[in-house]
Parts: sequence; structure tokens; C-alpha cells
Amino acid sequence: MNRETAGLRRWFEDYLAAFNRADFPAFGDYYAENLIFHGQAAQLTGRAMVLDFYHMVRSYLIERVELLGFVGASDGQRIAAELRTTLIALRDWPDMPTGPMRTGDTRMRVSFAMYDIADARFTRIRTAGFSPPRDATA
Amino acid sequence: MTPEARFRAYMHAFNTDDWDSLRVYYAPDARLVIGNGTELRGRDAIIQFYAKVKLQTRRTIEILQCFADGKTLAAEIESEFLAIADVPDFAPQPMAKGDRYYLNSFLFYDFEGEHYTRIRAATFRREFRPAAGN
Repeated sequence: MNRETAGLRRWFEDYLAAFNRADFPAFGDYYAENLIFHGQAAQLTGRAMVLDFYHMVRSYLIERVELLGFVGASDGQRIAAELRTTLIALRDWPDMPTGPMRTGDTRMRVSFAMYDIADARFTRIRTAGFSPPRDATA
Repeated sequence: MTPEARFRAYMHAFNTDDWDSLRVYYAPDARLVIGNGTELRGRDAIIQFYAKVKLQTRRTIEILQCFADGKTLAAEIESEFLAIADVPDFAPQPMAKGDRYYLNSFLFYDFEGEHYTRIRAATFRREFRPAAGN
């Protein structure tokens, strides 16, 4: 990591910390008004819709995101991140978009995420699920 | 050469089937995890895998963006697979001659010096476009 992207990483880590403590005003402040969101559970447009979605998710789950890898562009306008997400169901969610969960279930996944940034806010967030490695000869 | 420029040269070698040039980009013990989780170990295994794919399909990769930070390069690519024959065992789904399959992927390339040591891909989007009449 170079000097320019070190600050970008701290900014991003602050976002994840706010997200993990469900501080909606703090992490919502990272979202541009016209944010485009392509998550694995939803595709949404607009800051308000994304926050509504996360309010709904948090009524069912505890969600924790851990930063495994970070690549920041030197222009400060793009971030690629490797994220491990842990979900713990607080109550049954039979029609959860990525598969049903029952109270107490825990689910973990690793994703690669791309963030576009303008004026210190995310304008687009896209995530792709990473499949755990398995040996080609197995 | 910057990591981004090296990456563009690497993809040019890939798109032109220049296997001799391509292999020198990989560390001898490089590891590659493709979108379905299959892990290939070693530059020879990686080259053999790509060469086999290219026997059945014409694969062209377009770099949508790439940027490096420290010893990792992040990339977003779009791969077009054009079936040059019927490929009933094509991994994502069977293909008939003339069909096209598109994969948009996010990747991380770890590197040491001029060699990629670990490459990992996750599929963001996929699209199948059958040939007219198929």
C-alpha cells in the first residue's frame, strides 16, 4: 500500500466499523444519493432504498463484515475489497434472498467487492461471491 | 513497467494465444482459483488449463478496469467465449458451435516482482447468447 491509498483504506475501514455497529447515519453518509447497489441479495438504486434494505436485513440478522484484502486506486475513486461476511439469524427468515435461515443459524461467505467513489461517497457498489478453492485434481 | 501496464501486456499475450510469453508472467508455483472454485497449482497447470479451453472456444478478455496497490492488482474483466465447435462439457453450461458466453469477473492478482503468485476470480455476472438458430 502506498501513502495515497493508506488514507483511503482508513476511510474504508471506518465505513465497515460503522456498518458493523449498525450505525445507519454514519455508514449511510458514505452513500451517494443516487448510489447503484448490486449486492448478492439485492439490486437497488438510491441511498434511501439501500438503507431501507439494510434496516430490513438487520431486523432479521446480525451482519458482520471483515476486511480480508484491500486494493485502492491511486486516484482515490475506486476500491476493490475482499470481504468476509458473517450472518447470524435473530429469527427465522424463510424467504431470505440468498437462502432460508432459521433462528441461530450462522452463515459465512467471502466476496470480492468493487466500489466507485466520487466526492467521498460511494456511487456504485458491486459484489461477487468467491468460491472457496478446491483442488482441480481432487 | 507499472503493474497495470504489465497486466495489459499479460492479457494481450492471453488474447493472442502467446503461451510462451504468457507463462513467464506466472511464478513457477503460482496458484489460480477460477470462478467455480477450482484451484490450479503451478504455471504449467495454468497454461494447460487455458490452452484446453481455447481448443474448444475462442476466449477473448477485455479489461474493464485494473489498478494496483502494494503487491496486489485488482481487475474487472469481461471474457467472451465463442464456441468454435460443440462443447457439451463446457463448465458453465453446454455450448453449441457459434454460441457465446460472457463472464464478468472481479480478480485479485498477488505478485512478487514480475511474477503473479496467486490469482483469484469471482464471477459478478454471466450471460449466455445462443447463436442464431441454436
